Amino acid sequence: MDRWQYAAVLAACVVITLPLEVILGARVYRRPARLALTLVPVVLVFAVWDLLAARRGHWWWSPDQVVGVHLAGLPIEELLFFLVVPICAVLTYEVLGSGRETPRGR
Amino acid sequence: MAAEYTIAAIAAPAAVVALELLIFRTGLFRQARYWITLAIALAFQLPVDGWLTRAGRPIVRYSAAATSGLRFPWHIPVEDFGFGFALVTLTLLLWRRQAVQAEHDRG
Repeated sequence: MDRWQYAAVLAACVVITLPLEVILGARVYRRPARLALTLVPVVLVFAVWDLLAARRGHWWWSPDQVVGVHLAGLPIEELLFFLVVPICAVLTYEVLGSGRETPRGR
Repeated sequence: MAAEYTIAAIAAPAAVVALELLIFRTGLFRQARYWITLAIALAFQLPVDGWLTRAGRPIVRYSAAATSGLRFPWHIPVEDFGFGFALVTLTLLLWRRQAVQAEHDRG
């Protein structure tokens, strides 16, 4: 079960924030295009940072606590982290706005 | 020579703030809900990051040379809070920008 340590943390984040969408009506998962346009640049920027940092030895992952699947040189969990955490943040932000936007950008 | 992750953890939040103030100008920083979201994200970063970096058997390990060595609370490298701020703020900027642009397009 140790190999699922990191994945389990991410799963917990998804499960804990799911009621924000389902019960409190955050409407984040239900706006997939807007969500994708938000996530794609975030994943790109942070995956590149992560990859460079890992290459330069800033940090590394305990091999016995990740599932062992790697994509672009990073553990799959690390890439999922860059999806899960932003989604949790947007869910929180949307719930606080009661689903209504009042854009006043200049 | 300052530690590389320490520099990145300061530069990334600064870059994200500059992106908003100089280019995007979505008004995100004037929204109470942004600051509350940030506070909630920080509250969740403590148990999540705390577990990932926990003492004894951390899931993520950090180079002593790349970090300042400051770890708080528990074993979380303080640099991670700069990383988290940049991640959450960039996300909310991009999310909000689309609403602002849609509003603008409608006139």
